[in-house]
Amino acid sequence: MRAVLDRLYAASLWLSALCILAIAVLVGLQVGGRILDALLKLVGARETGFVILSLSEFAGYLLAAASFLALAGTLKGGVHIRVTMILGMLPESVRRMVEVAGLAFAVVVSAYGTWYLGRLAYDSWRFNELSSGLVPVPLVYPQAAMALGAALLVVAFLDECLITLRRGRPSFRATEDAITLGQEG
Amino acid sequence: MDIITLSVLLMVLLFAILGSGVWIAIGLGAVGFVALALKVSTPAGGILATSIWQASASWDLTALPMFILMGDILFRTRLAEDMFEGLAPWLQKLPGRLLHVNVVGSTIFAAVSGSSAATCATIGRISLGELKKRGYNDALSLGTLAGSGTIGLMIPPSIIMIVYAAATDQSVARLFIAGIVPGLLLAALFMGYVMVWATLNKDRMPPPEPPQTFANRLKATRRLIPVMLLIAGVIGSIYAGFASATEAAAVGVFLALILSWTTGTLTWENFSGAVLSSTKTSCMIAFILAGAAFLTTAMGFTGIPRALAEWISGFNLSQGMLLVVLTIFFILLGCFLDGISMVVLTTSIIMPLVEKAGFDLIWFGIYIVLVVEMAQITPPVGFNLYVLQSLTGRNIFQLGLYALPLFLLMILAVVLITLVPDLALWLPRTMLEAS
Amino acid sequence: QTTWDMPTPYPDGNFHTKNIREFAADVEKASSGQLKLTVHSGGSLIKHPEIKRSLRTGVAPIGEILISLHANESPVYGLDSVPFLASSYEDARKLYQAQRPALEKRLAEEGLVLLYSVAWPPQGIFAKREIKSMDDFKGLKFRTYNPGTGRIAAIAGATPVQVEVADLATAFATGRVEATITSPSTGVDAKFWDFLNYYHDTQAWLPRNMVIVNKAAYDALPDASKKALQGAAKAAEDRGWKMSQEETATRTQQLKDNKMNVVVPSPELKAGFQKIGAQIAEEWEKSAGADGKAVLEAYRK
Ligand code: NA
Ligand code: NA
Repeated sequence: MRAVLDRLYAASLWLSALCILAIAVLVGLQVGGRILDALLKLVGARETGFVILSLSEFAGYLLAAASFLALAGTLKGGVHIRVTMILGMLPESVRRMVEVAGLAFAVVVSAYGTWYLGRLAYDSWRFNELSSGLVPVPLVYPQAAMALGAALLVVAFLDECLITLRRGRPSFRATEDAITLGQEG
Repeated sequence: MDIITLSVLLMVLLFAILGSGVWIAIGLGAVGFVALALKVSTPAGGILATSIWQASASWDLTALPMFILMGDILFRTRLAEDMFEGLAPWLQKLPGRLLHVNVVGSTIFAAVSGSSAATCATIGRISLGELKKRGYNDALSLGTLAGSGTIGLMIPPSIIMIVYAAATDQSVARLFIAGIVPGLLLAALFMGYVMVWATLNKDRMPPPEPPQTFANRLKATRRLIPVMLLIAGVIGSIYAGFASATEAAAVGVFLALILSWTTGTLTWENFSGAVLSSTKTSCMIAFILAGAAFLTTAMGFTGIPRALAEWISGFNLSQGMLLVVLTIFFILLGCFLDGISMVVLTTSIIMPLVEKAGFDLIWFGIYIVLVVEMAQITPPVGFNLYVLQSLTGRNIFQLGLYALPLFLLMILAVVLITLVPDLALWLPRTMLEAS
Repeated sequence: QTTWDMPTPYPDGNFHTKNIREFAADVEKASSGQLKLTVHSGGSLIKHPEIKRSLRTGVAPIGEILISLHANESPVYGLDSVPFLASSYEDARKLYQAQRPALEKRLAEEGLVLLYSVAWPPQGIFAKREIKSMDDFKGLKFRTYNPGTGRIAAIAGATPVQVEVADLATAFATGRVEATITSPSTGVDAKFWDFLNYYHDTQAWLPRNMVIVNKAAYDALPDASKKALQGAAKAAEDRGWKMSQEETATRTQQLKDNKMNVVVPSPELKAGFQKIGAQIAEEWEKSAGADGKAVLEAYRK
């Protein structure tokens, strides 16, 4: 179970990273096309007029997917920030209870959000909602990716809640506390 | 429930939830939910999904992960070290020495990046480790970075100027040009502060490095060439018409990769490390932005910012008093809403007042950018503080305290542009009306 | 007593928004305060692309949108932006009347009710250089933002480029874009004279906004409020079309006042446009099926 979950978080994180890289590549191609055209014009050759239609919509959708698919992995990596000032002042036994309560609260809130993001994607599918640009993109795809990422975050919060109940501290506590300048690899 | 009670209740709730160690995005979302549940009959779930979706699928926002990725790749090259080695000999005589890198770096990077968080993240990645290694005071290096990161909003391109121009039918081009002098003014104020602090706290500065011959200095300066080429490449791509301000961020990624390749630091390990680390950082910010977007929309439905703005408009204040009251209002609001949202939520009510009081709308745009800059560094909702917490592990309230002197200097900047409006208006007038 | 949040996409200075504020005041007065509309202008509550869906799902009860924003979803939403089909106020109003049943039918399928629809000023071409003939379009970097403008670029042989409205100034200044087709209102709002010289008064089409309501929310209103809403809508529609015509005159004058060269397209250029328009209209008719055919027949009668 542990291995399955960890692999799931990692896979989702990598998928997210690929979305980010895809944005870089798409924009890079478009800019590269313009540079090529400028060079062609300089030597008097015919310009290619290369254009990626609806680039800004695609990039926006990729970003939405990337932001949500990385949620669970980011939590596990101790990168989602919170104010631990008061937690740090509590004795370990009390801190444990507060941590569990906080994680349980996060499970509830993220589950609520996931449900409605799911509804959003479902409505887009049901209504056949399309983007307004030159290339009509069904909005259900990016929205479903968001809902999926959010669902995985619920699992990760639940996972951490159980870990804290068992071991007394979330698994990312060490990394969360250790993030100091230049030491994170 | 009346507006004041509700506002106070929500404020207390936000502090309580965030204080108990709940993740910031979750806390913002929960407060938004409570606001809607108490005040609005529309079900919160649909509002939540709509606001999160429209905030997350944003083309303008794509520049943020690109710049963070660029910074992460550079962080793994020798570029940061090179930059500091190259600058160190020249800054020996200046009080504050390398601490000025934060301000100068942010000001230059501001010409590329339209966002405060991206500026803070990129410069912080490059400078904070080096400053720490050299023994510079943490409070000052973090404070100046938090503050000068906000210059990203004042020097064009700028996201908030675009938002303001669209809401008030002003020309983006004019507003962009108007921001240049105030942006440089802020940089000068911040550098002045560093110099004064360094002069007064000589014992808290690291010992000076041994003096070097002019020839050695020149030799060290050569190490600045790669970073200069990078910045020139990114800015150049915009002005040569190859890339929009948003697209230029991706140009930065490719230039960083080329730089990393030429210095031999582009290994698979470095590359994948940079990609994963920047994906997580971007995700952290995007998650908070989503939570903040929901809270903002919830506030729009409850009508709290609108009611407060209407309350102010009821006083029929003189121009000077209006400015004082608005500044206090925006500073308070800026603690709880992200800067751009607070402008979006209040312009409808504020702008008629502002026009009636006879403010120049371009000038007022610069004023708005200044108050939005302040909002970036006031806790609990301040995106530069979030970026710095993720870089340093210091909590946002402590970081807010470090940034307090810079916050006060921004208020001074408001006073200065009020006394001398031409600080903002002279350049657009000269540049656009001469042609 | 009911209070409705009303998201609208355009800022307060825009004539559509001004009209809506008057509409909201009328509704409140006519319903003796029983129905109150809180206008959230400039996308401050809900951004433009999400407004229609928000109305369908009940997130907001009433709102305004640019009809052609949803042209990808149904041909009926794209009719007002078929170029050179209806290029005067008179024709645009006639087209609207012919189209209204089909539009209402489609909206009803989505659980929405049409209150009223108002046209924007006619679309003209802003460019750095004067466009004298159809040949000038070849390879011209032409801003496209929806399927309609995409088709124009494709048929005219222009290079389609995507530029966000906020990025237009920089894009024109640095040469990423050379021409855009839009209304004189946008040209004045964005102060195009800072970086452009020519406005071609082509009167290509008159895009329309519409104010729509969630059907369930509408049905839940007491009859008096419904009547107040419909009465105010009728008045807003008539007022809006008049405002739009005034807008065209004053904005075009403002362009001239700011030393923009306002040119009337040459007969040759006009003929070229007509050809493009005829082709796009034909394509539209094909995509819209029997309903579309009926609408066009009613319009051309
Ligand atoms: Na900037
Ligand atoms: Na703040």
